[in-house]
Amino acid sequence: MSGGSARSLGKGSAPPGQVPEGLIRVYSMRFCPFAKRTLLVLKAKGIGHEVININLKNKPEWFFKKNPFGLVPVLENSQGQVIYESAITCEYLDEAYPGKKLLPDDPYEKACQKMVFELFSKVLTNKKTTFFGGSSLSMIDYLIWPWFEWLVALELNEYVNHTPNLKLWMEAMMKDPAVSSLFIDPKAFQGFLDLYLQNNLEACDYGL
Amino acid sequence: VTDDATRTLGKGSAPPGPVPEGLIRLYSMRFCPYAHRTRLVLQAKGIRHEVININLRNKPEWYFTKHPFGKIPVLENSKCQLIYESVIACEYLDDAYPGRKLYPCDSYERARQKMLLDLFYKVPHLTKECLIALRCGRECTDLKLALRQEFCNLEEILGYQNTVFFGGDCISMIDYLFWPWFERLDVYGIADCVNHTPALRLWIAAMKQDPTVCALLIDKNIFLGFLNLYFQNNPDAFDYGLGC
Repeated sequence: MSGGSARSLGKGSAPPGQVPEGLIRVYSMRFCPFAKRTLLVLKAKGIGHEVININLKNKPEWFFKKNPFGLVPVLENSQGQVIYESAITCEYLDEAYPGKKLLPDDPYEKACQKMVFELFSKVLTNKKTTFFGGSSLSMIDYLIWPWFEWLVALELNEYVNHTPNLKLWMEAMMKDPAVSSLFIDPKAFQGFLDLYLQNNLEACDYGL
Repeated sequence: VTDDATRTLGKGSAPPGPVPEGLIRLYSMRFCPYAHRTRLVLQAKGIRHEVININLRNKPEWYFTKHPFGKIPVLENSKCQLIYESVIACEYLDDAYPGRKLYPCDSYERARQKMLLDLFYKVPHLTKECLIALRCGRECTDLKLALRQEFCNLEEILGYQNTVFFGGDCISMIDYLFWPWFERLDVYGIADCVNHTPALRLWIAAMKQDPTVCALLIDKNIFLGFLNLYFQNNPDAFDYGLGC
């Protein structure tokens, strides 16, 4: 199982050949959280696979033949069958491969996981409105914000580039007076986190 | 007369009791396309069920204990388990009940049907916007154009597969998940949106031959009566066409 750290293929690259028997191929990108889902399932189930990283800023022409939407992750097996959409790829792997089942067998328990996933997806995509409660900022935005503030404090907020609506929401939130007046200084937060993870009793007072 | 021909429950109504063993209950509304999906699956699999129609403009207080936002459809079984989101409810029924499987057994074919569903996601919103525009006397050329484009994408799929139905030569889950919006094209006044998609028209004709689809076909005049009252904000809209 190699290739997870291979350079990405971009425009002008030669299309990869057929997937060897006994392996499944995943088209991925090392920092894409959606593709990470599929890699996690492949790893958790011990599925033999190869990874081809795609340059998402300079996509190869041939990649659109794999997925017309041009997104990762995409699975391709040795029979040339292609599966895309992260949740669909994960469920396909769970069904098609033996070993530990990740989705519950019980139909109700399985439905519960899907209902929770739908709610989570709504947070991620937030297609309908600028803010979670509508066209103006309200309680729900303040309730969700702290976890996204952590992303900024840890300088990980680049990752929401894949979910443009969420990125726009974060930018709008950072303009809010309440949010900006209480904004965590990244250096202070990182100092706190270092000490906290060492179980240092002074962690909570870092920077004071 | 379909088994969901009962008056809606609204504010002030008594909450229904527990679901009897051997039955599953569906909270629904006779004209809702999402609930229609679930009713199609219940019918196709011959699942014993009872339907409680909800007055969506005057929701019973107790209904929010079934769904946090009071949406339909919701399934409730005799173990008090609740399942919502129409696609999740349909899959639950296919998994939990024996007999005819609507999703294919092959994992790749199952994944294909789920990918097809993604191609459909703009259709419900566009058809609803067209309906509202037409009912409010506004023009909707752009909306219809966008809808036709979506239908072209679906047409391409049927052409590429060279099959009658979206899942192959026999009707399957994906066809039932698409159907409710196509049944409504005529009564919404946008049937001309399939003028340039012959394979899709053939699919519609084939669907109308399916016994499950037929059994649940909504009478056009009753639907129009509902729409008229609905757009006048009349809370009795949801019970239009029911006997006294």
